[in-house]
Amino acid sequence: MSVGLTHYLVVSLLLFCLGLFGVLVRRNLLVMFMSLELMLNAANLALVAFARYHHNLSGQIMVFFIITVAAAEVAVGLALIVALYRQRRTAHVEDLASLRL
Amino acid sequence: MSTVDYLELLKLAAPETIVVAAAVAVLFVDLVIMRDEPMRHRLLIGGAVTGLGCLVALLWLAKVPVHAAVLGGVLVVDPLTQWVKGIVLVLTLCTAALSLHAKFTEHVGEYFTLVLLATCGMMFLVSSDDLLTIFVSLELTSLCLYILTAFSKRDRSSAEAGLKYFLFGGMAAAFTLYGLSLVYGLAGTTNLRAAAAALAGQGLTPLLAVALIMVVIGFGFKVAAVPFHLWAPDAYQGAPTPAAALIASGSKVASFFVLAKVLMLGFAGVEGSGAWRQFSAGWAPLLATLAVVSMLLGNLAALAQRRVKRLLAYSAIAHAGYLLLGLLALANSDGRPEALAALVYYLATYGLTTVGAFGVLGVLERVNGSDRLEDFIGLSRRAPGLALCLVVFLLSLAGIPPLAGFFGKFYVFTAVVGAEPARLGLLWLVALAIALSAVSLYYYLQVLKRAYVVAPVAGADRIVLTWEDRLAVGGLALAVVLLGVFPSLLLSPLGAAIQVAGY
Repeated sequence: MSVGLTHYLVVSLLLFCLGLFGVLVRRNLLVMFMSLELMLNAANLALVAFARYHHNLSGQIMVFFIITVAAAEVAVGLALIVALYRQRRTAHVEDLASLRL
Repeated sequence: MSTVDYLELLKLAAPETIVVAAAVAVLFVDLVIMRDEPMRHRLLIGGAVTGLGCLVALLWLAKVPVHAAVLGGVLVVDPLTQWVKGIVLVLTLCTAALSLHAKFTEHVGEYFTLVLLATCGMMFLVSSDDLLTIFVSLELTSLCLYILTAFSKRDRSSAEAGLKYFLFGGMAAAFTLYGLSLVYGLAGTTNLRAAAAALAGQGLTPLLAVALIMVVIGFGFKVAAVPFHLWAPDAYQGAPTPAAALIASGSKVASFFVLAKVLMLGFAGVEGSGAWRQFSAGWAPLLATLAVVSMLLGNLAALAQRRVKRLLAYSAIAHAGYLLLGLLALANSDGRPEALAALVYYLATYGLTTVGAFGVLGVLERVNGSDRLEDFIGLSRRAPGLALCLVVFLLSLAGIPPLAGFFGKFYVFTAVVGAEPARLGLLWLVALAIALSAVSLYYYLQVLKRAYVVAPVAGADRIVLTWEDRLAVGGLALAVVLLGVFPSLLLSPLGAAIQVAGY
């Protein structure tokens, strides 16, 4: 059996769903960030597979940009966690409940 | 592979380059020259450099007409994008003016730099016809806005609001990106127009439907449409007021414009229909659903708010519903120029009005320290001019003639009805929107009632306004009235620009 486009797409969709599930279910902010990264990497995998399938490079170029952007996103996210941790000594979403009606 | 003339590229992207240069300049000036000066001077100088950058970029936009696309759509510059960029720059200018009394931070240089970089992201977003640039500039805007939301380190709610915004925004980005990657996969190109051409005639295949839904979910988060609106009230409330104004105005203008482009150009051919009892699959019924729930939930939830920032957030959600209706009118290519002009006019007037409302709110917050409804009691006596501006902004948001908000709604609703002229199938949406606008009048009047009717407690002294407040808030109120009385001031150049741009 040869591995084709469909296999890559199924894996990438699975990764995306796993990431989404992680963001929705896990309560620790760091784990939620990792799940967000998983979602972005699912898109990366799909893009690379499609680029190979179409024999053009624009998909792969996009992946390079996405990896860079994802790194910046993590930096900002971790900075936000640090800012929050300094105030409240917590990294759990349940404790983010001071803003309500 | 085509080669790029970098000098030409620099000329096309000159407004963005000017904004970035201003961002670097403001950082340099504040950190190197103004370091030991008092806060007030640092804010004034930082704001002045920011304003200067925006003004020079605006002048360039007005004086240098260009119409070109680089690398097949990676950067598209036409008269319409120039107009939308101009609107974004004006909104940033007003935000900077509102920041001159900021008490939430001592990092003045970083603050103004982030505002300018977010603006640069919005400008590139407006100019992109390519999946790659759309994603990168969307992220540039979002990352700056997350930090700005969490900028007030002393305020407990600011970091929390920033994190919530970040989590929802990150998820939105992942959805958008996955949707865009599927579009690339189906079409084999990252250019929107080329993708639509490659997909023409295939109809709505299952994979394209998934791509479409993911893109709409991602942008739905960005523009705060129900059911993806949960971050908006918290982010508006926790963010420093000028940052909230930027999120509510500039970022909204740019996101809606690029969403219109993605749907209109990238998903051309799978419009479908949202007409009454004649639904057919495509992006029109999807937007119709989002618009209906956004208008319903936004307007009804705003009724229960006791804090004015949250009230404005829910009102923003309701306005996102009206704007989605405006996007719906783009589905029919017959009346498209008029519908697009109506949408951009609505976006511009809504942005100006919101920044103005946040400006009034900022002054009150400085004096009273909070944004509860009760803080508005007796405003008409404490600051008559400010109260009058508040009347203009809130009645314009409610859509009362002759203010700009009324004509924005009028043109958008006319365009929606005109999109299905034969059967008037979209009339049900417009009827609902008008009914809910009437509901919205109630909660805006709740604020005005406290400002004008409720008797103030004794001892409340007059509010002293600074010249920046007068200039920014007064100027915005004047603009809202002028654009309402003479809508053609903005509409006719927009119409001409759309004709030249060829939509």
